[in-house]
Amino acid sequence: MNEYRALLAAAICIGVGFSVTPSRAQDCELKIGSMGPMSGGAAQWGLAMDAAANLAAAEVNAEGGLKVGGKRCHVTVVAYDSKYTADGAAAGANAFAAEGIHFIIGPVGAPEATGIKPVAARNEQIAWNASYAKDALMPRYPLMFHMGPGPGAWADSVIKEALKYFKITSVALIAPNDQGGTDIVTVDEVAYKNNGIKTSSEYYQRGTTNFAPIITRLLAANPDAVDTASSPPGDAGVIVKQLRLAGFTGPIGRNGGPGTAEILRVSGGLDVLKDFYWYEAQPPNTPEMRAIDEEYKKLLGKEQTFGTSMWSNLPGARMTLKAIEVAGTVDDVQKVAEALRHLPVNDPNMGKGVWSGQAQFGIAQELMFPFGVGIIKDGKEVGVVRVEPKL
Amino acid sequence: MHVFLEAGIIGISLGAQYALLALGFTLIFGILGVVNFAHGGFYMLGGYVAYTCVSGLGLPYPVAVLIAVLATGALGWVFELLLIERLVDDHLATLMLTLALYLIISTGVLAVFGPISMEFSFPVGGAFRAGPIYVPRENLIVLAVCLIALGGLWLILFRTDLGRALRALADDRAVARAQGLHPRVLFPLAFALATGLAGLTGALVTPILSLSPGVGDPVLATSFLTVILGGLGSLGGAALAAFVVGIVEAYTSVYFGGSIGALVLFVLVLLLLVFRPTGLLGRETRGA
Repeated sequence: MNEYRALLAAAICIGVGFSVTPSRAQDCELKIGSMGPMSGGAAQWGLAMDAAANLAAAEVNAEGGLKVGGKRCHVTVVAYDSKYTADGAAAGANAFAAEGIHFIIGPVGAPEATGIKPVAARNEQIAWNASYAKDALMPRYPLMFHMGPGPGAWADSVIKEALKYFKITSVALIAPNDQGGTDIVTVDEVAYKNNGIKTSSEYYQRGTTNFAPIITRLLAANPDAVDTASSPPGDAGVIVKQLRLAGFTGPIGRNGGPGTAEILRVSGGLDVLKDFYWYEAQPPNTPEMRAIDEEYKKLLGKEQTFGTSMWSNLPGARMTLKAIEVAGTVDDVQKVAEALRHLPVNDPNMGKGVWSGQAQFGIAQELMFPFGVGIIKDGKEVGVVRVEPKL
Repeated sequence: MHVFLEAGIIGISLGAQYALLALGFTLIFGILGVVNFAHGGFYMLGGYVAYTCVSGLGLPYPVAVLIAVLATGALGWVFELLLIERLVDDHLATLMLTLALYLIISTGVLAVFGPISMEFSFPVGGAFRAGPIYVPRENLIVLAVCLIALGGLWLILFRTDLGRALRALADDRAVARAQGLHPRVLFPLAFALATGLAGLTGALVTPILSLSPGVGDPVLATSFLTVILGGLGSLGGAALAAFVVGIVEAYTSVYFGGSIGALVLFVLVLLLLVFRPTGLLGRETRGA
């Protein structure tokens, strides 16, 4: 009997020993949130946001944890699927608050940005939206930051690059009929008109699966090009497929969120896409960008399959953790926000950028880096050219 | 003029897709009295089974479609036999059960295949063209399958003993039981028939549109809208309503835009519910 007791005691000691070991290595745990549409046609964007948050967390964890005051904190990421809706993002912010999460990497879309702003402000949460909403930032919500600029900053460059390859005198734009569509299309229209191109626009109800009737209406205007603007990549893929089936042979553009890989998959490949121009958050296939994917695989043990959006979300996630380190606190959110505003924009992979947004939003809390314009001509990838932002 | 004709052709194509979706949905309600919230899940599953057969196993597409029908039919049969059958008269319980099944299917698909759309194309491409008018070949195939399914279902329900038995159970379950009919045997068969139809639609339509874990969501809304318009439980009503919905959607979207098109459909259903609550061909009450 005594032998059994001794064995039991030894087993308990070993068990306790194992359970205690990790907490000795790191003194605290910091939970951060990742938010965006993680299901449906825009899932790629939300999952890219989550992947960026996870990579930033894995980087600091690999260094032994985030230095906060005199402690080392292990960073974990809690994901929330806000489904590209305002109510989803608002509910997500509250769910994070219930878990004591004050730092949110996300959300993605304009409706989500609208939904999260007042709730995150009330909960004292720093959030990074990646939307192209006209009011993505507002001075009265100083804890809101912006992953990158909207089409006002890059649509003109995309159109100018497209005009080198395609003859376009008129364009029809198509996007969802909510803020995630209208805010982007109206800005894109101005950019096209400034380049002497006539525009028409069509909107559809989010959740539409068959675009054939809308495409018939769209093509009745006989445009030279069609721009899928901010239609989720899954929707844009179906639109491309049905445009080509309807006999449209002109170029198809995308002055909206990245998603060319998903569009290629859904539409049926390069032969179907044929002539295509698009905004890319970063020029891919540079050693610095490939290094992100390699690091992702090394630290997280899987391929980075969420496209280029992940790259452009990474600096915001990294800078949030850096700001916590500089502020030396996980509890004083205002102090972390102040530290964040004063951090230089210099990402290990994306290079040097600037804090922008003062002119458009009245608050300089938007990251701006060089971006890319991609071209596919006659079913062949021409490549993605690097464009320096106009400051 | 060509836009008007094109809208009509698109409307009929949409109607064929909606009819295939609505038939299974209305069959389950008509015979079992169950509103199947998992209908979109079986549609999605049909697409993924066909995709796996084609891309993973290298099977020919028609064989993949057949396997998708059998797999979704079998799952429906097991689900009815093990769960629905025990609570078939409790509308709230069956509603929750089917909703839970939908969540299980969609989460399972998400876990296995991931959230990104699959590269899954219909094997027959191109379109018949006459000037600006075009008819995609894939839509003609869906229309043909829809007409065959409608005819097959009509034959089963109105020309076989199985159909007579199912209709008897739908009319008055107590009397049908007294006549020696066994709901425990027949209900799972009806459920399997309906879920197999949803699987068939998924296998046919997802390669034409897209295949991702979210594709089942709008299916439920479309099916509901169609069968309410046609009259819950009415097979002919569902088929008629599906083509009405398709044609109205096509014309309103073409002439008034995508936002108005969706709105007009809901207004149409609202008006119908006010002036003819039983739907186009629905009956006043159901006996089951």
